[in-house]
Amino acid sequence: MSTVAANGTPAKERKVARKRPFWTMERRDSLAGYLFIAPQLAGIITFVLIPLGLVFWYSMHEWNVLGARFNYVGSRNYEQLLSDPALLEVLGATGIFSAGLVVFNLSLALLLAVLLDQKLKGITVYRTLFFSPVVVSLVAWTIVWRFLLQNNGGINSILLLTGVEGPNWLRNPTTAMISVIVVQVFKNVGLNMVLFLAALQGVPRELYEAARVDGAPRFKQFRRITLPMISPTILLTSIITIVGSLQVFAQIAVLTQGGPGMSTTVLVYYLYQQAFQFHRFGYGSTLSILLFVIVAVLTFVQWQMRRRLVFYER
Amino acid sequence: MASVTLSKLRKSYGRMDVIHGVDVEIADGEFVVLVGPSGCGKSTLLRMIAGLESITGGEVLIGDRVVNDLEPKDRDIAMVFQNYALYPHMTVAANMGFSLEHRGTPKAEIAKRVKWAAEILGLDEMLERYPRQLSGGQRQRVAMGRAIVRDPQVFLFDEPLSNLDAKLRVVMRGEIKSLHQRLKTTTVYVTHDQVEAMTMADKIVVLNGGRVEQIGAPLELYDRPANKFVAGFIGSPAMNFIPGQITASGFAADGALLPLPEAAHDLPPRPMLYGIRPEHFALTSEGLAATVELVEPMGSETQVTMRLGGTPVIGAFRERVRAEPGETIRVRPEIASVHLFDSDSGKRAN
Repeated sequence: MSTVAANGTPAKERKVARKRPFWTMERRDSLAGYLFIAPQLAGIITFVLIPLGLVFWYSMHEWNVLGARFNYVGSRNYEQLLSDPALLEVLGATGIFSAGLVVFNLSLALLLAVLLDQKLKGITVYRTLFFSPVVVSLVAWTIVWRFLLQNNGGINSILLLTGVEGPNWLRNPTTAMISVIVVQVFKNVGLNMVLFLAALQGVPRELYEAARVDGAPRFKQFRRITLPMISPTILLTSIITIVGSLQVFAQIAVLTQGGPGMSTTVLVYYLYQQAFQFHRFGYGSTLSILLFVIVAVLTFVQWQMRRRLVFYER
Repeated sequence: MASVTLSKLRKSYGRMDVIHGVDVEIADGEFVVLVGPSGCGKSTLLRMIAGLESITGGEVLIGDRVVNDLEPKDRDIAMVFQNYALYPHMTVAANMGFSLEHRGTPKAEIAKRVKWAAEILGLDEMLERYPRQLSGGQRQRVAMGRAIVRDPQVFLFDEPLSNLDAKLRVVMRGEIKSLHQRLKTTTVYVTHDQVEAMTMADKIVVLNGGRVEQIGAPLELYDRPANKFVAGFIGSPAMNFIPGQITASGFAADGALLPLPEAAHDLPPRPMLYGIRPEHFALTSEGLAATVELVEPMGSETQVTMRLGGTPVIGAFRERVRAEPGETIRVRPEIASVHLFDSDSGKRAN
């Protein structure tokens, strides 16, 4: 017995009429979403994932461009990495550079941001002044500093005027590392300063007023209110700065070429030497993988620490 | 607890004067509400009492101490801010105990005081939560808790209920009032909401343009407003003002002759404003003819916008008015509740 609807249409026909179209609203929304992310996805695949895969592939080869050799060697490059006598020294220099840079950069950036977070006449000029090195060409900036740091350069000439004989900044292992860190900090401190400044200006003024009524002195206001309130920015800047410090190359190449000795040979510069000076692209690729792992681990650790560092994650 | 005295208090930002010599006496334990429209200087005045704004001229006394140049922490006051100003990275307990930390109070004593305040405010289950985990009303209570743990001489409230929804505002209004009745701490409370002012205050200070318009008990302000501004500000819906002139037979307005109280007949004939509150109109069969423009049933009363002669007025009636726009109804002003104001100065005339 066939059923008939109130309007006289048989039930089977009604079923056909109710069939959902392929392009439902949900599918159309999904397609639009995929189309929006497609360019970014294509960029990540082409410029990040494929090169990463290729570097990993190269790291398992002995590849000498001049000798036209490209032989699969399996894990030999990794074994060599573990027994490389220079690696500890390189990692040490990288660690010292990163730690010095992060501590000096973040402290100075925060100090400058606090000083420049004032309603003073001409404050925009000071802010621009401290930010301007960020937009200057890195190589030009470093070359100027190389002249300043030479034995008979600008800095020692100024010191001489005050009766102090300055060291040969770039030829002494300790001062060379300090010089490279300072040059890098002065170049990029403006960026972190601007980020801190924005964060400081985002702290509601009422919290400071409440703290004043509560009797908290200025330093305690900074420690108990400002620092926790800008903790998301502290986390962000520390991740950016650490990752950036591990990738430093141009400053070292222009200022010290890794010297004196190996005192300023950081990982990326060592990688460059192995790949492009000694034409050992396979081993250079292995060092790249090491760098990738170090950056990934540090970023992961920092991200995990956000629960303790960032107030809104608690 | 202490009294608060504002004497010839002035505040200027550059050349712009915002507070023009304000004099207010607040007795020990009194609940005083500073009320006025936006920009009238009420929050500035409160912040001057708190020490968050400098004082251009005059004096602020808390008790018998002039506190003009004292830091907020040294004034023995506690303040509840409009946006609560809770420290978002601290728990409720830490927020409430923060001020005690800076006074060298031992930890055990801080915990005891926080617990005491939390019990009063019903926050004892929430001490380990963060402000973001609380509702608007709970945050408001934490802000109050932060103030009361210190046991200050004066509480200062800066529009503390303005971020809450209408229902919660009524609840919190009651809580603040009962807290005051319990602690009896001198309180200065800022609001732009005249209903809050009327229901909470022992004394209301009406401000306008940085000047005090009138100081008095809520019903005093309602029954005998000193001028047109206060009359229009206190009461909702606002008082009707009908321009016209006193004559021997009554108040001659545009197209209507309004009845006057006996004493008003002695006033010299001059342009005046006839003030009558919407709730002081009565529906009668023999009153003044008024043309209905809009009927708004509120449940407990009916508000009728009508034209009395040429002047639009609002009447609020307990009866359920079923008139249609354009229809004529008859109303009678209660003669005892008529207010007369000078047309030029706005000052009360009767």
